[in-house]
Amino acid sequence: MNAADPIIRINRINKYFGQFKALDNVSLDVELGEKVVVLGPSGSGKSTLLRAINRLETISSGSIVVDGHDLYAPGENINTIRMELGMVFQSFNLFKHKTVLENLTLAPIKLKKMDKGKVEELAFSLLDKVGIRDRADHYPVQLSGGQQQRVAIARALAMEPKIMLFDEPTSALDPEMIGEVLDVMVTLAREGMTMVVVTHEMGFAREVADQVVFMDDGAIVEMARPDMFFDNPRHSRTKLFLEQIL
Amino acid sequence: MSEQEKIIDIGDGAAIPDPRDKGLFSAWRIALIGTISLLVILPLAKPDPYAKILRFVPDGIWVTFEVTIASISLALIIGLLTGLGRISKNRYINLAASLYVEVVRGIPLLVQLFYIYFALGRIVRVPDIVAAVIAMSFCYGAYMGEVFRAGIKSIDFGQTEASLSLGFNRRQTMAYVILPQAWRTILPPVGNEFIALLKDTSLVSILAVADILRRGREYASESFNYFETYTMIALIYLLITLVLSKLISNMEHRLSHYERR
Repeated sequence: MNAADPIIRINRINKYFGQFKALDNVSLDVELGEKVVVLGPSGSGKSTLLRAINRLETISSGSIVVDGHDLYAPGENINTIRMELGMVFQSFNLFKHKTVLENLTLAPIKLKKMDKGKVEELAFSLLDKVGIRDRADHYPVQLSGGQQQRVAIARALAMEPKIMLFDEPTSALDPEMIGEVLDVMVTLAREGMTMVVVTHEMGFAREVADQVVFMDDGAIVEMARPDMFFDNPRHSRTKLFLEQIL
Repeated sequence: MSEQEKIIDIGDGAAIPDPRDKGLFSAWRIALIGTISLLVILPLAKPDPYAKILRFVPDGIWVTFEVTIASISLALIIGLLTGLGRISKNRYINLAASLYVEVVRGIPLLVQLFYIYFALGRIVRVPDIVAAVIAMSFCYGAYMGEVFRAGIKSIDFGQTEASLSLGFNRRQTMAYVILPQAWRTILPPVGNEFIALLKDTSLVSILAVADILRRGREYASESFNYFETYTMIALIYLLITLVLSKLISNMEHRLSHYERR
């Protein structure tokens, strides 16, 4: 792979759920270190697009290349590719039977065969970063939603991925907890992480995004830098969406 | 009651006592005290035949335990494989597992016992107790398979997705994430199956396996003390199942530690 190549190259992908076209000829490049925020009304295909990047959704046609690996090429191991792709879910999905610390250390110990002491060191530094070190020995059920989501971010980071995918990370949170999760994401962005974020948080998009992608009916309608996107949307559907949401 | 507990319906084993029931007069406590009292008082009050029965039957208790432990161990393995087979995306594995469950569930255990005992006897000569264990585990493996399937299905799919997204394959996801959580849901019905199996081992007494019931029948047919013998046998079974159901409910309570706030 060439240094100038995008780290994610999505090329004309289509996805059908039965007759329903969830993704309609979508192409998108994400450069290393770039932050792409995907916006759109519900049912527009933005989550499907995000989940296609680590093949939690399989696509019907087209190609996705992540860090030089074609997700659908025979001989490519999807599990190895997924180790480069951290993912944060709307509903946190922390492992309920593991403590906070164990949630972070499970995958690095089992998959990277890393030494337990080293992993725990890494885990504690990540828990520091998301401000939740004092809860290391708690179980997920004992944490608030915001805390759980911060742990989920730390869990994904513990695999030291090159890219982070966020699937509406604040949509299941009470309003007063949204800030603490967004703060962590902003910090991560400042540190140079490559991020693809599906969200409804316009403030976050404006502050962090290098590119804002607007989707509707499974297709990318508009793609622009945030200042252009929010102040001078070109497409009528984008304008309508922004009027409704702002 | 949580969503998980609703999915698995309690089988026909002994009632699992509620671990939070601290009342002195819980049904479990009354039954236990009553059983122990009778087991002590009857032989003291009337040594012949009750004390004699108590000396004659214990050999059978060990046989009953042997058959139960061996059968439940095998049934758990068969059940896990069957449960995984029933949720497999491979249609042939799925079909094979489903067929096994359908067939076994449709034939009475007693008929299966006879069938396996005599069918097996035509092919290989195995000790009676081995034939009994094979038959019991073959039957209970199918029930266990349904318990495992329901337990695995009760785990939120988000857990699987989170595990896959970290780079675990499906097998690792099952081993590290799904089964450890499913075990918590599976334990109460497995405990029930365990107790039900223990009681059903009384059926193997017809296969010349010298379990509790068989020993009792032997004693009764020699002494003609049918009433006294079967009274003691019933009390012995009851004592065993009462103790086991308590152990299981305590274990279940301990396993649920991560669900307590």
